[in-house]
Amino acid sequence: MSGSGAKVALAENLAACHTCSRVQSADLHHCERCGSTVHARKPDSLQRCLAFLVASLIAYIPANLLPIMVVTQLGAEQSSTILSGVATFWEIQAYPVAITIFVASVMIPGLKLVALGILCAAAAGKITIEPQRANRLYWLTELVGRWSMVDVFVVAILVGLVNFTGLMSIAAGPAAVAFGLMVILTMFAAHAFEPKLIWDRLRAEQQN
Amino acid sequence: MSPESKGWPRAKGASKYAACHFCDTLQTVVALEEGQSAHCRTCGAELYENRPRSLQRTVSFALAALLLMGLVVIFPFLSMDNNGLKSTMTVWGAAASLWEQGDELIAAATAAFIVILPITLILCLLFVTLPLLVGKSLPGAVLAFRMVSHLQTWVMVEVFFLGAIVSLLKLVKLAEVSLGEGFWAFALLVFMMAGALSSIDRLEFWDRIEAARERKREVYS
Repeated sequence: MSGSGAKVALAENLAACHTCSRVQSADLHHCERCGSTVHARKPDSLQRCLAFLVASLIAYIPANLLPIMVVTQLGAEQSSTILSGVATFWEIQAYPVAITIFVASVMIPGLKLVALGILCAAAAGKITIEPQRANRLYWLTELVGRWSMVDVFVVAILVGLVNFTGLMSIAAGPAAVAFGLMVILTMFAAHAFEPKLIWDRLRAEQQN
Repeated sequence: MSPESKGWPRAKGASKYAACHFCDTLQTVVALEEGQSAHCRTCGAELYENRPRSLQRTVSFALAALLLMGLVVIFPFLSMDNNGLKSTMTVWGAAASLWEQGDELIAAATAAFIVILPITLILCLLFVTLPLLVGKSLPGAVLAFRMVSHLQTWVMVEVFFLGAIVSLLKLVKLAEVSLGEGFWAFALLVFMMAGALSSIDRLEFWDRIEAARERKREVYS
């Protein structure tokens, strides 16, 4: 399974286009089929991924601590954070909703940051993980990231619907922007990561 | 054009290799029958597949999604009645009222991920796939299909729909909420969009575009 007899595209000076997958000379600047820039490896992927990761980690803190929504009813202001929203649903025994919001808004982004951190560390050679496992981890982080936007959309819908002043009004809190930014930044981080780096490292180790 | 028993039309100048997106192992491309997939011999990741009737399915789902998107933009999504005070929202209206309240970033994100990017993606997809049904590729098809690849991760209609369900549950205790026509259109849109995106056979469509462009060059030279 280690594929010692298998040829690696990079070693043959070939590169697969990131957009259309056409395999062609790595010396070409643009893909012959779709015109995208051709790279054997995404340039500076580790630095770019880490930069987005740090930025999203910074946004993760206000996203979870600050209020995501401010409800004003009969003059009384009540702000809620993501976790207090989860708690409210839990108290009224709406367990599936509470769990859904908790998983989508708190767990997935947190785990995604950890997963990308592990992948970056593995690509940089700081830790070793089984490459197949790294593939799955990467595939998963690309798949689930978008679901964290759910809370931002909840705010958008509530603000849009309850837009009359007087009895009640709902406004987006500062956490909504932080949250949206965090999700977008983690998506950029996942996109910037180059999974081939982990395999390159494995092959280099096997040759030594 | 001869009916091909296996695989899809490929250009004469098409690459005979595929490289794994995870481990970069180089391997020779073999034609697949519908429903088959090729896997990397080093790491086992999927290299490419031949999704059954992918062109026809993509076109059908994309046309349905486009129609539903029109309904979603026009018709009310949710309306509520709070002690006689009625309010109605459309998906587009939600973004507009966020914008008016000064939450420009959230408004822009909602409008982009739920309406603008999905419509752009569907139009680009149809621009590529409709001509491919008759083996043609229009000028700009390459750019349009590149857009499709890049936009896919940013279309979040299914996430928005989950958000709508959560919002409903938050509101039931505050006011009387009713579902509009736009809500049902949106529910269908989620499925049509998922159908269109999962029908796309990326490698097949690129190969078909390449083959169509090669044929066009041969005719003119």
